[in-house]
Amino acid sequence: MEMQNSNPTILNAADLPTRLRPTARKPDHVGIFALPSLSPDFLPEASSDSEDENLLEEPIDEQEIYDIRVVLILDLISDHADLIATISDPEHPISLGELAVVSLPDISIKPTLPNVPDSPLKTVTVLITPTITHCSLATVIGLGVRVRLEQSLPPRFRVDVRIKEGTHSTGDEVNKQLADKERVAAALENGALMGVVAKMIETCR
Amino acid sequence: MAGTAGLLLLPPRTLPAISIGTMSALQTFMLVVEHDKEEAKRIAEGVAQDVESKKTTLIETVQSLGEYINDEDPILRGKAVSFLTAVIKALPARYLSRQQIQVLTTFFCDRIEDCGAIAGLETLQALERFTEALANEVAQALFSNFQDLQARSQSQRFQVYQLLNELMSRHRAALRDMGDISLVGIVDLMTGEKDPRNLMLVFSVLRVVMVEWDISNHAELLFDSVYNYFPITFRPPPNDPYGITAQDLKGRLQDCIAATSQFAPHAIPSLLDKLDSTSPNVKKDALNALIACIHSYDPNTVSRYSITIWEVLKFEILNAQEEFLSESSQEVLKGIAQRLSEGVTEASQELPLAQYLRPITKECNEQLQEPQQKQAKPAQQILSSLSAASAIAFTIIVQTVVAPIFTIYQEADGMVKQRALLETLVVLFDSAVKVFGEWTTRGGETIIENPLLEFKDQFSDIFGQALMGAAKEEVSFRVTALKGFLRLSTLRDFFQDNEIGLLIQYLDEILLKEESVGRGDLQKESIAALAEISKHKPRLIVDITFPAFVATLPDKDEGLDSSYLSTLETLAQISVERDIFETLFRRLFSKLSILLQKDQPGSVAYPRAILMTLLYVMQQRKMDQDPNVDLYFDKVVVGLCRSVAASASGKAKNQILNDPTVLHFLGRLCNLLVRSVSIQKQEQVAENVYSLFAPAEEFVPVPFAQTTNVDQERTIIISTYLLAGLSKDCGPRIPHTSPDMSALLADISRRSVSNTTEPATHLAFLRHQALLANKFLSKQDLSIAENLFDALVSPDPSMKQQVLSPATIRTVFWLSKALVIRLAPTTTHILTSLLALLSSVDQQTSTTAARGFSILLSDDDVLSTTNGAIIRLLSKQRVFTTVIPLISSCIREVNIAGSNESDPSTKTPDHIKPAHLTALAGIISTISTALVMPELPTLLPLLLQSLDLQTAESVAVRTATLDTLAVIIRDNGVVVIDQCGHVQSLVRRLLKTTTAAVPGSGAVNTPRLRVDALNCLFLLATRQSPSNNAPAARPPPSLSPLLPVKNQVLRSLRAVLDDPKREVRKAAVDARGAWLRDVDDAPEEED
Repeated sequence: MEMQNSNPTILNAADLPTRLRPTARKPDHVGIFALPSLSPDFLPEASSDSEDENLLEEPIDEQEIYDIRVVLILDLISDHADLIATISDPEHPISLGELAVVSLPDISIKPTLPNVPDSPLKTVTVLITPTITHCSLATVIGLGVRVRLEQSLPPRFRVDVRIKEGTHSTGDEVNKQLADKERVAAALENGALMGVVAKMIETCR
Repeated sequence: MAGTAGLLLLPPRTLPAISIGTMSALQTFMLVVEHDKEEAKRIAEGVAQDVESKKTTLIETVQSLGEYINDEDPILRGKAVSFLTAVIKALPARYLSRQQIQVLTTFFCDRIEDCGAIAGLETLQALERFTEALANEVAQALFSNFQDLQARSQSQRFQVYQLLNELMSRHRAALRDMGDISLVGIVDLMTGEKDPRNLMLVFSVLRVVMVEWDISNHAELLFDSVYNYFPITFRPPPNDPYGITAQDLKGRLQDCIAATSQFAPHAIPSLLDKLDSTSPNVKKDALNALIACIHSYDPNTVSRYSITIWEVLKFEILNAQEEFLSESSQEVLKGIAQRLSEGVTEASQELPLAQYLRPITKECNEQLQEPQQKQAKPAQQILSSLSAASAIAFTIIVQTVVAPIFTIYQEADGMVKQRALLETLVVLFDSAVKVFGEWTTRGGETIIENPLLEFKDQFSDIFGQALMGAAKEEVSFRVTALKGFLRLSTLRDFFQDNEIGLLIQYLDEILLKEESVGRGDLQKESIAALAEISKHKPRLIVDITFPAFVATLPDKDEGLDSSYLSTLETLAQISVERDIFETLFRRLFSKLSILLQKDQPGSVAYPRAILMTLLYVMQQRKMDQDPNVDLYFDKVVVGLCRSVAASASGKAKNQILNDPTVLHFLGRLCNLLVRSVSIQKQEQVAENVYSLFAPAEEFVPVPFAQTTNVDQERTIIISTYLLAGLSKDCGPRIPHTSPDMSALLADISRRSVSNTTEPATHLAFLRHQALLANKFLSKQDLSIAENLFDALVSPDPSMKQQVLSPATIRTVFWLSKALVIRLAPTTTHILTSLLALLSSVDQQTSTTAARGFSILLSDDDVLSTTNGAIIRLLSKQRVFTTVIPLISSCIREVNIAGSNESDPSTKTPDHIKPAHLTALAGIISTISTALVMPELPTLLPLLLQSLDLQTAESVAVRTATLDTLAVIIRDNGVVVIDQCGHVQSLVRRLLKTTTAAVPGSGAVNTPRLRVDALNCLFLLATRQSPSNNAPAARPPPSLSPLLPVKNQVLRSLRAVLDDPKREVRKAAVDARGAWLRDVDDAPEEED
């Protein structure tokens, strides 16, 4: 396959958005100043995660979608390989995150039924920015993101994957395809296409 | 039958009278040769002896063949010739005369197509009297009689090659003098060979021709004769007895292609053509062959093709499809640069090297115009490999590349671009380090001046400005600048000390004044940089960093500001070098001494952190090789121990040395120093192990003290660490050990059983007792410890069920640990006694003992091999194999009793089964899975029952179980579980463990448990074949044992994707992805 964009700009992996570990921990109990257990008891009484911490809920947010479920990464460079930023671009062995095809501000999670405040239903919207405006693989990338999200989100989430406005010459056409359930289902039956998608998702770990 | 010589033309009838003996020998030989090689050999040897002892003659033997050698049947002819060969072989090496050899050679050459003739020639040519002329004759015979060689069997061809190979090594000059005749003859003979065993010989014979013959008339013929085999696609059959690999063939073929520069016009274009192949393996072979050619051809030839090669290879690097192809391509380019640098002492634009590099640097400069784009990376890589090729190549590249980079840098419109440019410079600095060395590099000074020196001030400005002038949030930019500056600082003979000092000041400022941003990468890199500089310029660190850092250390910790911790940590990281450590020790020890003298010393965290810092650095160094170790010993071991004694007696200014955590770290420091000093000093320590170097009137040692308070008892922490550090030979010097250790052991044991001590002191007593029993108790005296064990575990033998206090159980287990790891004779008795505790009706006794099993075999900081503890290699295996069957049968009994509900009298208490499972988990978590595997069929049902436990108390057991399962699955794959027939029951239990607690159900699955269970599910899907580096042959297609549960897993995990904890969701995504991807559905019918 002829490359459509052989020389895209690449973001440095270290500069991609990551969730910082909470710094609340006492600084004198880390690194070389870690205190050993001086108890003669056979097993530590409480496991490291305390009861309170165990009960604390961590709802699914945009960063998580970006990290674990959407960003397609080829390189396991970091320990923060999260959801979608680790999907690979079909043309380049580089992650969608590094290519900025998927970026954190372009992911949103909203209640599917804003009028029913108690409804657990949520809609995830991911906007894709192709590396060039005539990229014919935009549909495949969109499909890859969509498949990854559907595989890895609980059923109460609706998935909406679209090309970001003004970033693609036939964006509307691609969006129509990505939103068309029938056509997506048909595409998933297509062995060759699914092969490409599976290859993209392979790097998500 | 062609070519028969005169002597042998005689028809059988006219043969002279032949001795019956020889006649029958030949016939017998011909009868047995096919089925009894040994007998045939014996017959030939007998004839040889007759020839030697003149009972018969060689002529007669030859003539005896006459009847058969003209026979129609080639098999008969072959056997007859073989007979002669066998006789010759059996003759002594110097028996045959020159003339006889000549006659025989001619005979065999005439008969060369008959079986046995080649072997005969091989024997003859090895004889001393074999001449060059005969070698020529043999070669001619080979060339003219074997046009049809490739139609013959592999073994016949092999014999011919073997003979040729022998001639090559013994009579090479004769063959070489034949010139084109032998060249063409050899090539013709071997053309078309396909067998790998034969090809190994063919390639090595041809290579000799290529290197030593004048090949100018036939270079292409020779080249084609080997290049026809390129690329080698051979794959050895399974269980190949010859053990020839594709790599062996590739290696020999490559040696041929690279054999002579005269091949270049054919080899290089052909190999470059192969890069058009779609197969990465073919491309890889072509690149490897190119590398070999470049290393072997002469530099002028290499130069002629250098630019052509670059033009082809640049696509392989700039548009790399496979990383390894790009790497090999870079190696080719680097190899060319190295060859073209040979003998060059001065950089100039007229050099072939410069002409070669010109288009390359031009291309790279163009790519680097937009350095943040994808293709700038390969351009960087090209510069990196070429500039590291030689000092001259480095110089030429720097002269053409650095100035343009400066220009783009000045005009760059964004930090992303600037950082990419700095990275490119760092790549060049890395090469500079490879070419010119670092300050610490010994020897290998290059003759030419480092071309970077010309830009020294500009580098210093740009990198300094980028590091300190950029916005604080631009962490990755600043880190890049830091790395560049650091490289230049370690580069030999580059910066002056004051210039490196400038970087050190910057780093100090970052560490002392700046708030860390993000993950604190800049701070981490700064510390690493200071540590790196400390290896090269320790004086600068002592002079600049030390005063700055030590000045910020407070006099005491008021509890408001603990920033001294990061200062101490930095000091610890950069003080490994000897001179720096000495300074660190002096500064910190005086801080500590001042603190010990204060009436109001503030928090103990500060003195403790000082001790931890010293400990950390000492652990990184080889203290036993430090010339100052005695000084440190006197200050810390003697001095501070004395202070501890004073503090315990209430004679100190403050309570610092009464704090158990402070004593713990002081103890470890002492332990390390005791291990590092001489035996004489250790003997002093042994004598003072309890008195802590204090005068008797000032301090009462713990053992045998009538009354003790907590402060005094706590000194056992220090005593234990001192004891641990002592050599075994100091045993007799320890107080209270004469005539034997029984009184001392009993006293320590009594104190550890007592429930009144505080935890840290209690642990020290337990370890103290274990050290004495394991390390210092002689074999003969082991009964002392064993009696003590019995007294502890069943204080009243008349009682059937034991009820023991937790403190007693701990004492029992630590004593058991000490004895079991040295495999004391009563090990089995000890283990069964411990297991009996699990069945105690007293729940506390049972559960406490159950948890004790985890310490039996666990590694301990004090009772360790480093401290000279006796730990037998087989102890783990012994404990495991003793305990597992007992636990297994006990659980079976409980299960059976539980199912028999009609009779409540047989019902066992509920705590007994979990106790056994806990004990099991404790043992398994401390041994390697290699030991576990043979017992898996027994073990797996027990592990599954552990997963059935649902209570909060069982979390630790289940965690340990899941850890074990994860390792088993990771190392051995699903297969082993499937063999035990437990895949589905395992999966069901794992799924149950993945669900967050359902209110009211009482089941407790902590997030950690849920993640562990998901991890096991992930591993099940990804480890369906036993090893990941599976052989090329795929196993026969079969249905995955996971398939029956696939849908169930996918459905259950879909719910786990909504777990309240992110960590769990992440694991669920991975596990579900793995099952979707890796668990194949049943193949469809129409396939």
